[in-house]
Amino acid sequence: MMTRFNQLPTLRIDPTKKVIFNYKGKSCAGSEGDTVATALYANGVRVFARSLKYHRPRGLYSLDGECSNTCMEVDGIPNVRTENTLAKQGMEVKEQNVKGSAENDMMAFIDKLDWMMPAGFYYRTMHKPASMWPVAMKQIRKAAGLGVMSPDHVTPGKFDEIFPRTDVVVIGGGPAGMQAALAAADKGVRVIIMESRPWLGGFFDYRAAEYSKGKPLYSRARELAEKVEAHPGIRVLKHTSMVGAYSNNLVTGFQIGGEGDSFTERYVEIRANAVVVAVGCIERPLIFDNNERPGVMQVACAHRLARTYGILAGEKALFSVGHDLGLEAAIDLYDLGMKIACVADIREDGQNPELLLELAKRNIPVLKGWVVTKAHGSKQVKKATIATIDGTITRDFNCNVIVASAGFTPITGPLTLAGAKLRYDSHTNFFIPETLPEKTHIAGRMTGLEDSMAIEASGTLAGIKAAMDSLACTCCGSESASEGDSEGDSKEKSSSSSCCEACDDAALKAAEEALKALPGPSRGTKLVTAPVKGRKSFICFDEDTTIKNIKQAIEMGFDVPELIKRFTSAGTGPGQGGIPGHNLPLFVAKYEALSGVPAPVRPTTVRPPLVPTLIATYAGTNHIMMKRTPMDEMQRSDGGIFRKIGVWERARYFSDDFECKAEIENVRNNVGMLDGSTLGKFRIHGPDALKALQRVYTSDMSKIKPGRVKYSAMCNDDGCVIDDGVVIKIAENDYYFTTSTGRAGQTVEWVRYHTRYDGWDFNMVNLTDSMGVINLSGPNARKVLQKITDEDVSNEAFPFSAYKEFMVKDTIPVKAMRLGFVGELSYEFHVPSSYMVSLWNMLKEAGKEFGIKNFGVEAQNVLRMEKCHIILGQESEQRTNLLDLGLGFLWDRKKTDAKTVGAVALAQAEKDQTRFRLVGFKMENNGRAPKDGSLIVDDKVRGYICTARDSFSLNEAVGMALVESHMAKIGTRLEIFEDECGDQRIYGKVVPMPFYDPDGSRMKS
Amino acid sequence: MFGKYKPMWGEKTQLKSSYDAVIIGGGLHSLATAYYLAKEHGITDVAIIEKNYIGFGGAGRNTAIVRANQRTQYNVPLYKEALDLWPVLTKELDYNLMFNNCGNLNLMHSEAAMKAARMTICTAQYHGVESHLIDAKEAKELVPALNISEDITFPIHGAMFHPPGGIVRHDAVVWGLARGASKYGVEIHQQTEATAINTRNGKVVSVETDRGTINTSKVLISAGGYSASLINKMMGIRLPVSVLTIQAMVTQPLKPLLNHVVSSGAYHCYANQTLKGEIATGAHMDQWPNYTTQTTAHYIKHQAEALSEFLPCLRGVRFMRIWGGLADMTPDMAPIMDGNDQVEGFFFNCGWGYFGFKSCSAAGKHMAEFMANGEAPNILKPFNLKRYEEHKLMGETAALVTYTPDN
Repeated sequence: MMTRFNQLPTLRIDPTKKVIFNYKGKSCAGSEGDTVATALYANGVRVFARSLKYHRPRGLYSLDGECSNTCMEVDGIPNVRTENTLAKQGMEVKEQNVKGSAENDMMAFIDKLDWMMPAGFYYRTMHKPASMWPVAMKQIRKAAGLGVMSPDHVTPGKFDEIFPRTDVVVIGGGPAGMQAALAAADKGVRVIIMESRPWLGGFFDYRAAEYSKGKPLYSRARELAEKVEAHPGIRVLKHTSMVGAYSNNLVTGFQIGGEGDSFTERYVEIRANAVVVAVGCIERPLIFDNNERPGVMQVACAHRLARTYGILAGEKALFSVGHDLGLEAAIDLYDLGMKIACVADIREDGQNPELLLELAKRNIPVLKGWVVTKAHGSKQVKKATIATIDGTITRDFNCNVIVASAGFTPITGPLTLAGAKLRYDSHTNFFIPETLPEKTHIAGRMTGLEDSMAIEASGTLAGIKAAMDSLACTCCGSESASEGDSEGDSKEKSSSSSCCEACDDAALKAAEEALKALPGPSRGTKLVTAPVKGRKSFICFDEDTTIKNIKQAIEMGFDVPELIKRFTSAGTGPGQGGIPGHNLPLFVAKYEALSGVPAPVRPTTVRPPLVPTLIATYAGTNHIMMKRTPMDEMQRSDGGIFRKIGVWERARYFSDDFECKAEIENVRNNVGMLDGSTLGKFRIHGPDALKALQRVYTSDMSKIKPGRVKYSAMCNDDGCVIDDGVVIKIAENDYYFTTSTGRAGQTVEWVRYHTRYDGWDFNMVNLTDSMGVINLSGPNARKVLQKITDEDVSNEAFPFSAYKEFMVKDTIPVKAMRLGFVGELSYEFHVPSSYMVSLWNMLKEAGKEFGIKNFGVEAQNVLRMEKCHIILGQESEQRTNLLDLGLGFLWDRKKTDAKTVGAVALAQAEKDQTRFRLVGFKMENNGRAPKDGSLIVDDKVRGYICTARDSFSLNEAVGMALVESHMAKIGTRLEIFEDECGDQRIYGKVVPMPFYDPDGSRMKS
Repeated sequence: MFGKYKPMWGEKTQLKSSYDAVIIGGGLHSLATAYYLAKEHGITDVAIIEKNYIGFGGAGRNTAIVRANQRTQYNVPLYKEALDLWPVLTKELDYNLMFNNCGNLNLMHSEAAMKAARMTICTAQYHGVESHLIDAKEAKELVPALNISEDITFPIHGAMFHPPGGIVRHDAVVWGLARGASKYGVEIHQQTEATAINTRNGKVVSVETDRGTINTSKVLISAGGYSASLINKMMGIRLPVSVLTIQAMVTQPLKPLLNHVVSSGAYHCYANQTLKGEIATGAHMDQWPNYTTQTTAHYIKHQAEALSEFLPCLRGVRFMRIWGGLADMTPDMAPIMDGNDQVEGFFFNCGWGYFGFKSCSAAGKHMAEFMANGEAPNILKPFNLKRYEEHKLMGETAALVTYTPDN
């Protein structure tokens, strides 16, 4: 183990606290605060992984996880970016995608076969002869993919989610972000600041360079961080990566839990009034031969490795940079003890003279207009070749680290996700936003600023703007002062007014002036690649895409970066566009310009999540909510077996016999009780309530008699049945109606939609959840009911199809209906949900002597099928209209004024002889019932079985089917095709419906 | 410095002033139609007019699942033909479309769903398409990662297993067909926008583009999600089409884990593993019509919740990319392929919803026949527009669809 700095003031590790974890089966020690990768680096590991395609050795490159170079399996989870995953006690860390080890990978020979694998080679090979493809495919699958996921893996940890609401969310906890948060919070608004690293500070955090006289940048960072964390108006979410941005300033991300947190990771979804994006820049990779060899790393990686983690990346480094931060790092690392072979600067001029002076003082040679062209060394850098930009003169240097960076690129993902359009700026050589989404502001380095003061000032300005965006004016009614108000009366708003916080733009003006006085955006570098042919120069590390591959794709006609991305896979790997995102469009534009077709620099699309996010984290607490009826608990204790039906959980069975013999027979012979609370229940009232009912129901609803139950149906514009249920007139202009369970959620909107132009005066209330329903059915039902009420419930006083309201025990208001869905004497009680348990218990108690038992949804299904009562969705489908179901009697043709939904279609369909028709059937030779969903066929498909059962009540198999109408005649033989039947068929015969109690004496008596 | 590589679909050429046929849209249905027009009907003087670049829309945004287990007898033969065409096209185009016929496993979570599945399976078997109803245990044997325990929101009752289905590399189909069509002389004009169709005496005479007018007697609009609005704008025909955003996403790549496409209606979720090792997953549609391809925060979360339940090992896998595309939904989830009716020479092919990829080869083949002969081949006849006028929906979906404005 190498010696580490343990006294640097910039350290974010605690060298006194050891973290021991297992690496490839061996114990490995790091310090608290180490990432897995930095701990491994300190332990001498240089080759962390092998690349996807060529199995090239890969090492620590950026420390920010833009590529998969340091992806490993950690605690059974593959593709963990170890460079920014904190090391924890006892972690299991393994290499992935290697045969042998990352250090000695037996698949490394593939790197030499790259000539066989030009861009898109797989589309042009392996398919001839055709028999070869399945064999090849197996090999492709084996070779593809990085990590291994075991099918029975259980992800450890606790995952949570929070949905905070805030005035301003600041993304990025660097100097600009912190200033923005402070400025906004000082205006009195609520602020959340998100920072992906475990600490605030950004690129000030690790730098020893001077911020102001005698104050290094890192001190400034800590000073700002303290202020931010102490501010009561700011909620600080550290170790929180932003992953998505959506309409109306919805920002998502995830936070990694630390010691003492109640979560391992948690999903964070923030709704903000205004957003400040201050996420800074990443380094634009420099492309040269073997530009991803272990030992090649970006400036901030080498610098942070030393300053944050106390590790010198190597003994001797060669710098090839294009930015003053590179020079600063060279000086600082030299001072920390690293030998610097030379600093090659892409720029011919424009360097900060003070930095040049410092370099000269240290005798570090600086070559302006030079760039590294090749890294030598098979697994690790041993030597570097540098050349002039035109490639004419070269020099070699021995070194074991190449610090390489072409410049910077702003992290624009947070902006483009929110809808910003980018343009290429030729001064900064950045993609910068042409327009910003509403109430979104940017600040800091991503705007091209380099000067520390200017970066902070831009943060302050953005913070003030964001605060003003979210402040409501208390004096003049204007929405905000920071932006021109395009809508309506901004007359009142005076630019100098300071009547309230929202309108006080003095601070805004001051911040604008302050920023203006400071240095503006600095010039960026254009260089894309060193002067190389590009066979081993990688534009995308994750997908092993070389410059040569990109050229091949362009030559093949792929001229748009987005298409090249698809064809070469560049930017589609685990790190997405992190490495190639900026270079690819730049290279394509440059290359096309060479061939005489000048093209604009068009960025590829950045998509969420901006940081790869665990599915467990997105799932959070993983609550999928289902509705439960008031009888849920009681039915469960009675042995109910529940199923999810739509949004509900319902008791489908009450025993292991899924044919429900006992339940069915008890309803037919004694009395049963069913929880029907999932039915849609509505009240509609008002002077135009009837008109609305006439519009949506097919029957003439004006004929509903008081005290009677009206069964009817709703159709859609195609005449297809969407709902059926009962309607009761409870008073003048006041109706109560039920819908099927599945339609409960949509009914109010359905009625409103179909009356939207009429201006009718009515109100609707959805009572589905506030009312429960008990269905009491069977020959003994009346006896049970009579026991709990004084109301006369005799057949004369309360006949079939009648409606009554009464009180049970003077307390429970009951809406009672005589219905006959299951074909027996039957009551449906609608009572307030809170009384359901009481009524249920009373009925249960009263019914004891009559053999009362629960029955579930499946028993009901069979009972009603025997009676040929339909269930929508079972005996109907989307295209089934009212007439197809034989429910034409529900359609009143005379009420044309009502413009009943579906009436026109029904009138047209009436003449159509080619539609389906619902029929009842029995099986030939007393055969078994066919399986639901079987087909009715002859030389083609003619229909299908809706529901069929071996009926206990009838002692034979019966069912209903939808068949073409010419087959609906009684006596027609039905040829039934079941799955896996081969050439075997079974046969049924169309019979009259219903099967059970055809004259209805049981349900009416 | 240019090597041995040639542009796959020809050098960029000038737009001519006339073509025998013009196809608006550079997606898969257009490319396939052009390819078959040229190959099977000798009509090679064809221009494809694409506003962006080929494969910009649904062709490049779908998750590449192919299958032939549709619900009705009208659809099954068409999708079966399309499924059978993948190996044929691979050979004909001499381009590896990477057909992975791994089979599709469609999970069922209730008795009612099992019944619905049986009807679909019977229809498949009746038409000679392999498809079986299996129980949860058998499903688990096929996909060991499945959670078949009772303690999830929608416990798995069984599944519809459709072995001949699978995954095709969608981009390869775009490029292969483009190359194949261009070899016969079809011209592909990208970055070119068609703006109008001119007719005279009930006949198509020309197409306006932002690069000039093209005289032609035959024009096809098959521009995926954009078709309905183009048809309305150019021809004044209002179609019963709602355009919805549909989203899909992939995880970081893994070694082989899922050997079949797995899907679940109850969870609104499907998952399959691409040859690159990513788990591709999706299914959700925003329930309101729109023409954007924006993704939503809610959806990726929903997807994670669903996968967490029925493929729980995926909890330890990371999503890396989500995107949106357009699905042009008809009321019966079956497409509209029609034309040469009111206006001679005008054809259209749209309303594929999220089935446009799996059908493209067969649909293109028959649309080419339609355009060449002027009369719809029998297999396309049920997909006419008139069925909506007659209130005769095709029945491709059993359940009432809920993307109309009233919902």
